[in-house]
Amino acid sequence: MIQLYNYDLSVNCYKQRLMMSILDVEYESIPVDFFPGWEHKSPEFKKINPLGHIPVIVDDDYTLRDAHAILIYLAAKYDPTGQWYPTGDPALIGEVAQWMLFAEGTTNTASAARLHDNLGYAFDIDEVRAGAHRLFRVLDEHLWFREREGQDWICAADHPTIADLAIFPDVMLSEEGGISRRPYPALRRWTDRVRRLDGFTPMPGIAPASPLAASPDPRTTR
Amino acid sequence: MSDATRVCTDPAILDLWHPVAAVPELTAAGDTSMLLGSQIAYGTDETDGPWVHRLDADAPVAVRIDFGFLWTCFGEPPDALFDIPEAAEPDRRILNAGSIKVATSAPRAVENFLDMGHFPYVHTGILGAEPRTEVVEYRAALENNEVWAHDCQFYQPLASASAASGQMTDYTYRVPHPYCVLLYKSVPTDPSRRDVIGLFVQAMTEETIRAHNFLCMVDETTSDTGLRRFQQMIFSQDKPILENQHPKRLPLDPRIETPIRADQSAIVYRRWLTDMGVTYAVIPAA
Amino acid sequence: MTDNLQTDKLLLDADRWFPIGRADDAPFRHVLQTKLLGRELAVWRADDGFVNVWDNRCLHRGVRLTVGMNEGVELRCLYHGWRYASRDGGCTYIPAHPADAPAQTIRNRTFPAVERHGLIWTTLGDAAPAEPLPELALDDPFALRSLPFSASPALVNRHLDNADPTALFFVQPVDAHECVVHSVLAATPPAHEQISVWRHHADELTRVRDAVEAIAAGLPAPEPLVVALERIEPQEQGVPMPRARSDAELRVRVARKWSTATGVVALELDSIGDPLPAPQPGSHIDVHLPNGLVRQYSLTNRSGDAASYVIGVKLEPNSRGGSSCIHDVLREGDVVAISAPRNNFTLRRDAADTILIAGGIGLTPLLAMAETLQAGGLSYSLHAFAQSSEHLAFADRIENLGEAATTHLGRSPAETGEALDSILATPDDDAHIYICGPGPMLDAARSRAEGHGWPDSSVHFEYFRNDTEVDNSSAFTLNLARSGLTLSVGPGETILEVLRSAGVAMPSSCEQGACGTCVVGVVSGVPVHQDVYLNPTERAAGDRIATCVSRSADDNLVLDL
Repeated sequence: MIQLYNYDLSVNCYKQRLMMSILDVEYESIPVDFFPGWEHKSPEFKKINPLGHIPVIVDDDYTLRDAHAILIYLAAKYDPTGQWYPTGDPALIGEVAQWMLFAEGTTNTASAARLHDNLGYAFDIDEVRAGAHRLFRVLDEHLWFREREGQDWICAADHPTIADLAIFPDVMLSEEGGISRRPYPALRRWTDRVRRLDGFTPMPGIAPASPLAASPDPRTTR
Repeated sequence: MSDATRVCTDPAILDLWHPVAAVPELTAAGDTSMLLGSQIAYGTDETDGPWVHRLDADAPVAVRIDFGFLWTCFGEPPDALFDIPEAAEPDRRILNAGSIKVATSAPRAVENFLDMGHFPYVHTGILGAEPRTEVVEYRAALENNEVWAHDCQFYQPLASASAASGQMTDYTYRVPHPYCVLLYKSVPTDPSRRDVIGLFVQAMTEETIRAHNFLCMVDETTSDTGLRRFQQMIFSQDKPILENQHPKRLPLDPRIETPIRADQSAIVYRRWLTDMGVTYAVIPAA
Repeated sequence: MTDNLQTDKLLLDADRWFPIGRADDAPFRHVLQTKLLGRELAVWRADDGFVNVWDNRCLHRGVRLTVGMNEGVELRCLYHGWRYASRDGGCTYIPAHPADAPAQTIRNRTFPAVERHGLIWTTLGDAAPAEPLPELALDDPFALRSLPFSASPALVNRHLDNADPTALFFVQPVDAHECVVHSVLAATPPAHEQISVWRHHADELTRVRDAVEAIAAGLPAPEPLVVALERIEPQEQGVPMPRARSDAELRVRVARKWSTATGVVALELDSIGDPLPAPQPGSHIDVHLPNGLVRQYSLTNRSGDAASYVIGVKLEPNSRGGSSCIHDVLREGDVVAISAPRNNFTLRRDAADTILIAGGIGLTPLLAMAETLQAGGLSYSLHAFAQSSEHLAFADRIENLGEAATTHLGRSPAETGEALDSILATPDDDAHIYICGPGPMLDAARSRAEGHGWPDSSVHFEYFRNDTEVDNSSAFTLNLARSGLTLSVGPGETILEVLRSAGVAMPSSCEQGACGTCVVGVVSGVPVHQDVYLNPTERAAGDRIATCVSRSADDNLVLDL
């Protein structure tokens, strides 16, 4: 069984919990006392990941660090549909990679702001917040145009990919870092859609969305 | 809105001990923070022990260590902090479960801690679950200048780190200090005793806090990490709700919001703050 | 051509219409978060298309409604699960107190919404705005992408003069340093060109935005607009006010009248003016008939469904003019006066299972309950007893309930008894039973429930012929010291209700004895305190009383009113 070195409040660990829940992959959660224990910085943990970060997964003999790399591995290995990481489609996989790198940006802005505001991490808070807003503006416009084309997801396909999962948690918890999503209606609608995915799992601050009605106007006859 | 950074002038608040940090967090180099609108520095010295300096007044202030935390007072310190007799029991596990910043006022955090009606919605599957949402009548009153709520009960699917299934859980709540709140719940393995879980709130400003999570448990099986994890999970679920409440300062006028019978302990708490003349971190009644 | 209808001053005038989003920013089952003139708004489209614009604050403890759930006819707050109905904004269910009907006073502040030119418009003013919505003769408007600007509305508005001449711009003043620019083209381009048209205009507006924001960054940041904290119930005691909501006569029009079963006529009642108060399952209204009689009928509406009220009226064989008036005289298009709904037959939504037993026209409140439980995904069964299939009212709606509904047609009294025995055979601590029907059937059901060991607290009933449940509490006389009025408070009536019926202005909020809003002074007499607001000292002093729940120990109580 996969082992996930996990902290419940970590956005990057959540990305893996979300992916594995959607793919219905069993795993064992190994709790790391991130705060206040700083266990991920301990010498013992650094034997597992010399960079002292979580998440890390261990799958039999295979160990992998870095949230976005782990998403790629999980999708490539455990998704029989090949949709989450569509290696068969060069244009699409290029897009996925492009947006995974965008997710590095949201991690370094929105999630950094959250660590600053919650746990007192030292970041230039004005700069990371401004950075997050710049990225959110771009993503909001991108998603708006995808909606005009009748599409629900970040990449040009009629299904979500790991790009959606990589970006979603950073966006969804942005308010914990003082970044409001009010100016980004298309972004907010997209977060509803992610929260409606089969196999969605919550974390503190990320709740399921209201389910869609069975039919568009269910006001039945009187 | 600019009031959010004002310095506290309430004697009722200044003449109390306030939490600043968990003892393991203290360093020789020191750290900075805020308390009651003032910048402070704090740390620990090898020979002289822990210290707190008020940076705006450039003066040391009284300090003490209690329950594993460093406390300070800007005014006339009381002889003692409130007592938690359970903490003296030899087999108790006393832990800090993390100090987390929240963008809300101290009284809002206290009131949320007193509240049971949100268990099925905010702590779904852990402290409560639909459809069992009823808050049955309980008794809340002032006793010895502290707010107490007795005979509180709620059905919980998973009441603690060591619980295996759902049960009706009995709670007692206690507010011994305007910005500190304790809850007592039966030890699953020994119902004659009670675990104590506390929130000691450091009012950094009127609208920002550092919430120090305190555990005083009878539990031989769960690791420190496990106990912390449970408590942090609960608190982190409350945090986004607290940060989405407006106004941030607690309105003491009963007609700004709509309390219901389930809010009895909050009603007593708000009236207590009014009677004490508290103006810091609240919106006083007209 | 630009057609900016807004000068600087007008941009900050609350009494005007402003756009707050595109129509498709409010899709089904979503809550749009926006802000106008410093006031946060929660905007949500109900399943019937109605767009709600509310203050973004739950009335309980001020949590943003935009983190809540749009459940189609109700919005659910994420903190304690309070449900608020579309249109009226009234609270229909408080999960912490599943057996209590939320007070009518618990109602969100709502603002009007109009969809025009592909945008949603609202106004924050109390009165109708002096200027109507921009009435541009656009047969075929095409809404472009709306863009957020971090700059003052006035500054942005000035720069729009130099922007794209083919678009019409409308500025939404969000706050002192923030706005949203909505824009519309006069004509819709052909489908295959739309994406590029949107892109072109978005790029143009982005260029304007870059320029304006660069300028704004060099200016001192203005103070955010402050919206004053409003009291939920601003009414002061003793000041004359229109009669309290629960007695108010609402005027409704009979939008539809049809035969739903042999001897049963259904009426669909639409509001003429303000939105109808949010219905709660089990509630009933007083209908003031043209012939002067007043009759009570249960609403069949599921929780929160307030577009119109639907009632079912059975023609009573010995009608003294009530049901016969409705059957024979009342026509579609007629206007009647009704009371706001009252609820003495509340539905708990916290049971593991609910059994609904309906005899004849007693179906009406139980149909509301069944549809509410179904919408909430809660386990229930409905047993509808009727003389025959022709006598079964609202048969189409019963069918929509699927397997959860069972009809019992043409049963003799003995067969009915057997059916009830079977339904009530196994008592369940986590289940609740609701029964409504003619007297004999109700008695039969209640005695069988008791016989099978169901606890009293799990069995709820309402006689469908207007008999109210007898309350064991006492009757007493109420004297008002200042006005000299003498009133009587009967069993089952509260002091608050009696005062209001007598025209005495009384503010209230929770109506549960928790908030203290309805507390008045006691001059003499001994209050029986049933609230949780007064502290022990105040209770012992006996000089104050919470009029919504508390009573008198003696025959007479004198209040300081």
